[in-house]
Amino acid sequence: MSDPKGKDSSALSRRSFLKTFGASAGVAATAQVEAVAAELAKANAERAYGPGPVPITLQVNGEALKVELEPRVTLLDALRNHLKLTGSKEVCDRGTCGACSVFLDDKLAYSCSVLAIEAQRFKITTIEGLAKDGKLTPVQQAFIEQDALMCGYCTPGFVMSVTALLKQNPHPTAEQVKKACSGNLCRCGTYPRVMQAALKAAGVAQHKEAEVISYARLA
Amino acid sequence: MKSFAYATASSPAGARDLVGADGRYLAGGMDLLSEMKEYIAQPKTLVNIKALPGLSKIEPGSKLWSFGANVTIAEIEDHEDIRKTFPALPQAAAEVGSRQIRNLGTLGGNLAQHSRCWYYRHRDTLCLKKGGDLCYARHGDNRYHSLFTGNSCISPVVSNMAIALAALDAQVLVQKADKTLRLTIAELYAEAWRNPEAHNSLEPGDLILKVEVPVQNQRSAYLQMSAKSEFDWALVSCAAAGRLEAGKLSQVRVVMGAIANVPYQVEAANRFLEGKALDESSADKAADILLEKPHLFSDNGYKLPIARALIRRTLLQLKA
Amino acid sequence: MPGWPEKRDYIGSHHTRVDAPAKVTGSAKYTSDVQPEGWLYGMILRSKWPKAKITKIDLDKARSIPGIKAAIVAREGERTVRYYGEELAALAGTSRQACEDALKVIEVEAKELPFVVREEDAKEAEAPRVWENAPNLSKPSVQEKGDVDTAFSECAAVVEGFYTTPVQLHHPLETHGNTVSWTEEEVTAWSSTQGITSVLDDAARNLKVPANKVRVISEFMGGGFGSKFGLGVEGGLAARLSQAANAPVKLMLPRFDEALAVGNRPSSFQKIKLGAKADGTLHAFELESYGTAGIGSGNASEGGGGGAEFPAPYIYTVPNTRKKQSAVAINAGSARAFRAPGHPTASFGMESIMDELAVKMDIDPVELRIKNDPSEVRRKEYRLGAERFGWKEKYKKPGSSEGPIKTGVGCAGATWGGGGRGTKAQAQINPDGSVEIRCGTQDLGTGSKTVIALIAADLLGLKPEQIVVRVGDTRFPPSGGSGGSTTTASVAPAIYDVCMKALDELQKQTGVTDARGQNWLAACKQLGVNPLTVSGQWQEGLSSSGAGGVQFAEVQVDTETGFTRVKKITCVQDGGLFVSKLTAESQVNGGIIMGIGYALYEERVMDKTSGVVLNPNFETYRLPGLADVPEIEVILLDMPERGVIGIGEPVTIPTASAVANAVANALGVRVSRIPITPARVLEALSKRTPVPA
Repeated sequence: MSDPKGKDSSALSRRSFLKTFGASAGVAATAQVEAVAAELAKANAERAYGPGPVPITLQVNGEALKVELEPRVTLLDALRNHLKLTGSKEVCDRGTCGACSVFLDDKLAYSCSVLAIEAQRFKITTIEGLAKDGKLTPVQQAFIEQDALMCGYCTPGFVMSVTALLKQNPHPTAEQVKKACSGNLCRCGTYPRVMQAALKAAGVAQHKEAEVISYARLA
Repeated sequence: MKSFAYATASSPAGARDLVGADGRYLAGGMDLLSEMKEYIAQPKTLVNIKALPGLSKIEPGSKLWSFGANVTIAEIEDHEDIRKTFPALPQAAAEVGSRQIRNLGTLGGNLAQHSRCWYYRHRDTLCLKKGGDLCYARHGDNRYHSLFTGNSCISPVVSNMAIALAALDAQVLVQKADKTLRLTIAELYAEAWRNPEAHNSLEPGDLILKVEVPVQNQRSAYLQMSAKSEFDWALVSCAAAGRLEAGKLSQVRVVMGAIANVPYQVEAANRFLEGKALDESSADKAADILLEKPHLFSDNGYKLPIARALIRRTLLQLKA
Repeated sequence: MPGWPEKRDYIGSHHTRVDAPAKVTGSAKYTSDVQPEGWLYGMILRSKWPKAKITKIDLDKARSIPGIKAAIVAREGERTVRYYGEELAALAGTSRQACEDALKVIEVEAKELPFVVREEDAKEAEAPRVWENAPNLSKPSVQEKGDVDTAFSECAAVVEGFYTTPVQLHHPLETHGNTVSWTEEEVTAWSSTQGITSVLDDAARNLKVPANKVRVISEFMGGGFGSKFGLGVEGGLAARLSQAANAPVKLMLPRFDEALAVGNRPSSFQKIKLGAKADGTLHAFELESYGTAGIGSGNASEGGGGGAEFPAPYIYTVPNTRKKQSAVAINAGSARAFRAPGHPTASFGMESIMDELAVKMDIDPVELRIKNDPSEVRRKEYRLGAERFGWKEKYKKPGSSEGPIKTGVGCAGATWGGGGRGTKAQAQINPDGSVEIRCGTQDLGTGSKTVIALIAADLLGLKPEQIVVRVGDTRFPPSGGSGGSTTTASVAPAIYDVCMKALDELQKQTGVTDARGQNWLAACKQLGVNPLTVSGQWQEGLSSSGAGGVQFAEVQVDTETGFTRVKKITCVQDGGLFVSKLTAESQVNGGIIMGIGYALYEERVMDKTSGVVLNPNFETYRLPGLADVPEIEVILLDMPERGVIGIGEPVTIPTASAVANAVANALGVRVSRIPITPARVLEALSKRTPVPA
C-alpha cells in the first residue's frame, strides 16, 4: 500500500533519525538502522496530510496522473474537474445512484464516496478506460444494439456495473443482473434494455422488439 | 465538506492519537462522507484505519469465526463457506446498500454507522440527536421510526449486520484508551437506548477491532422488508438463530431491526421458544411477546404487522 | 404534395441510435462536462427559512475566501422569501471547495415569518398566508354541463371516492444548470435544456443583451421531463457571475436543490362522484378538487386553476358534469410542466372511480371503458390489449385470489395531443458525398438526432452512418422546445422538406436525374469545390396530433407486509407513423417506469415543523430501480397514414391508474392514495370490513 508522500518527508526523516540515533547509542548498529527505518515508516505513515492541497498520483486507465488536491476532494471531483475525465457523472454525490461508478482494482465503487487522496492505492478504471484503441467492448456493443440508453447520463455507470458483473460471473441469471445493477438509477427508463444488453453480452441471445400491428388490420 | 487533514494509522494506539478529540476514523467512508457532505460531521482530521494490521481477514474456526473490522461487506456476502455455518450473515450482507457500497463498506463501519433518521441527516434541522432541543420525528413525519425506545430520540438502528450478529450471539472487540473491551451486540448499542445523542455505546476514539461469532451448531436466517425490491433501507428487519432438533427449537434468539434504537431482542420471547415446535403458532406467540407494548406514533404503526410477518417468516426459514 | 416514401429502409426501423457510441464510451459532452478555458465553479446560497423577510445579505467574508472571483445577491434590496430553498445569493470561484467554504460565511439577516407547507393545513382559513393579500385556497374554477343533480337521481348506480396524488419531482439525472461565458462579443450558454431558443429569449431579455449576441448550446443533455425550459434563476445567476468574474462560470445544481426549486407535478385531492345508467352508460360526474403548485398557486385570480387543475372527466364523455377545481398555495417551490401535465393526475382519479363503478355494477372494467370511451382507436386498443394481456383469464372478483400474496389486474387509457410544427433545418451536401443536417432542436434522450438521420438516409438513398446530425445550437435554424411530445412531429417534416429540396438542388446543379443511392458519390463530385447548402421547413401533411394508448397492469400484493410488485404491464400505443421504432419503444418503457414510480414510490415530503423538504435525495425520494421493473409488453399500432405524431407523454399517463386498479382488484379494497406504499396497503386492509364467508 503506498501512502501519499508529503512535501516535508525529508525533514521529518532527519528529525526522526537524529532522535533515534541519539537515544540508543549503546545498541548494535544494524538494530539501530532497523529501529530508525521502523520509526521512519511509522512517522511517514501516520503523518497528517493537508488540509491544504497535497500532491497525489492517481493510476487511472493505465496512466499515472499527478494532481495537487485537498484531502476533501473526492475521486469523482478529481476525475471530472481536475483530470478532464468527464465520462463518470455527478448525479447525486451521495452514493445512491451509480452514475459515478468506477473500478478500484476491479471492484465496482462509487467514486463520489472515495477520497482522491485515498484512491492512490488503487488501479482505477473509468468508463474511458474500457474501450481499447477505440474498439468497443462486448458490453458497450450490446448496449448500443439493445438500445440500453436514452439520454445517456446513467449509461457510463450501467456499463461499468454490467462489465463488473460479467467479469465476476460470465453467465448471470436475470436475478443476478438485477442485483448487480441495483446500485444504478435511470430516470429515462432504460432498465428493460439494460437487462437485455447484459444477457446479450453474456451470450444469452436477447433481442426483444415491440410487436407492431397495423391499425388498419384491426377488427 | 469542511476541510480536514488526512492520515493513515498503522496501529490502534497511533490511530487514537491521530484522531484526538475532534477527528473521526475513516473506514469505507460510505457513511461518514455523506454525513460530512451535509456538514453534520466536521472532523478536523480523518484517520484512515484500513491499513491497521490484522483487521482485514475472515478467519474461520471450529469454535468461533473471527471477522476483522476492516472486512468488507462484499467479502462477507461472497465468502464461500459462510453460508454453511452462519447463513444469516451473507443474507444480511447482501441487503446492505448496493454492490458499490458493499465493495468498500466495512463490517466495523456498518456497526458504527450513524442514524438514518431524515431529521438527523438533514442539514437544516437541529434535532435532539445533534444536540438540539426537539425530536422532530415525534411530532412530525415518523413513518421510518422506532416502535421501541428508552429515550426521547426515536431514530431506529439500521445496521443489517448488527441484527444478524446479535442473533448469532456475536461479540465485538473494542479498543479503548487503556483496554480492550469485549461487548455483546446489545452492549455495543445499549447507550443508544439511554441517551438521545448516542448512536451506539462507542466513545470518541474507541475502535472496533474484530467481531467474533461462536460456532454453536445453529441455523440462522435474516430477512428484511423494504419499499423497493433492492437497494433500500429496511422498513423492518429480522434475524433469528437457534438449534432445531426433531422439529423443536432451542437456544433461539430473535432480533428485530429498524423498529428500535437498538437491535431489539426480548428475552421472554427467546425463552418462550425454548423447546417449542417450529411452526406458525409458536412463531406468532413469540411475536406477541417480542412486540408487546409498542409505541405507536402518528405514522409508524404499519411496522407492527410487518414485524409480525417477518418474525414468522424468519423463524420458519430456519427449517430450510 | 409531400408524403413519406413508400419504401422505407430506415424510417420505421430499429436502427441503433446515432449517438449511442458517444454515450457508451463516456465521450459525449453534456452541459456539466463542458469546460471552457478558465472556467469557474458557481454555487447558490438558498434560504433555509420557508418564509422570511431578508433584510441583509453580507458577502464580504465570502468574497475574501481565497479563490472566490465573484459574489452577488440574487435580488437587490429587502425581500420576502417564500419557500425553503429560494435563491439568496451566488458565488463563483476557482474550486468547488472554495465555493463551499465561501457559502458557509455568507451572513444573512432574516426575520422568520409564519409558514405552512401541507395542503391540508394551508387550506384552513386561519393558516399563515403564503401571499399576504390572498387566501391560500383559491376560489374554485367552476364548470358545469347539463343538470348534474337531476342526473344523479336518474342513475342506476352511483359511486363516490376521495383520491390523492402527491407532489412528484422530475429528478432528471443531469441536474439543472448552465455554463455561461459572458464576453464582449457574445454570451454563450451551454445549457442543460429542452429549449435552446427559450434560454436565448430569456437570456437576452433578463440580461439586457441583444439576441444576436447570445448563443445557446445543448449538444447532449441528461433529461428534463418538462422542467428545463428558459434560463432559470440558476442560469441568470451563472450569467451575472460570469460577467462579474470575467470568466466562464459553470453552475450545476446539486441533487439537493432539485427537490426544492426547479419544479414539480402538483398534488391533488379529488372528491369524485360518478353515476351510470343501468346499462353502464356514464350519466353524471361531479368533481371537487384542490392541489398545490407551491407558491405558484398563490395570487390565483378567481376562477383560475392556480396551476393545479387537470382535465376531468378525462377521456370519458359524460353528459352531466360539475367540476370545482381549486389550488392551494404552500411555502414550497413552484410547479412546472411535468410529462403530460395534469393528465396522470386526472387519470388516477377518473380511472379509479371507473373501476369502483364497474365493481358496483358487476360490469367488466374493460367493457365499461369500451362502452364509454369516445375514441375508436382506444376502444380497439382495449380489445387488442385485453387479448394480449390475457384479461379474461386474469380478471377475477376483487380480493378473491387465495393466500396472503394476492394478485390482481387493472387497466386505464390515455389521450394526448402531440403534433408540432414550425421547425426549420439546413442541409449541407459536400462534394465528397458527406452530408450534414443542422437543426436547432434538442435530443433529450428521446432520439431526435436518430430520427433526423433515418429520414435523411431514406430520402437520399444513403446509410444513416453517412449523415452527420447537428442539433442543440441556436446558430442552427430554429425549432421549438422539446415539450408536449411535439419534437418529432415538428422536426420530421422539416427534415423531409430540407432533404427533398437538397436532392432537388443537387440534381438541378449537376444535371444528374436521380442522385440517390449508388449515384450519390458521383453526383456530389460534380459539385466541384463548394458544398451545397439548402434550407427547409416544416410542411403540412406529414404530421398530425392526437395519440391515445391503453395500459394493463398485473400486480402481486403481499397482504402481510403491504409490499407491492408489478408483475406485468401491457401497453398498446398509437402514435401515427413511428420514424424510429427503436426509440419509440424505449419511450414507452420509460413512460411506464415513471408511472410505476408515481404509483408506488414517489412523493415529496415536507416537514410541518421546520418547513424543509424532508427527502431531497434518492434515499427517501425513491425512483424505481431495475429490480422494480415488471415484464413490459409493448404493442405499437402502426398508423402511417396519420403522419408523425409523438408519444413521449401519453405513455406515462395511465400507468399509475392501471397499477392502482390492479392493487384494488387484488386486495378487494382500494388504496386511493398514491404512492401505494406498504403502510397505505396495510392501512387499507385494516379498515376493510370482513367479507361474509
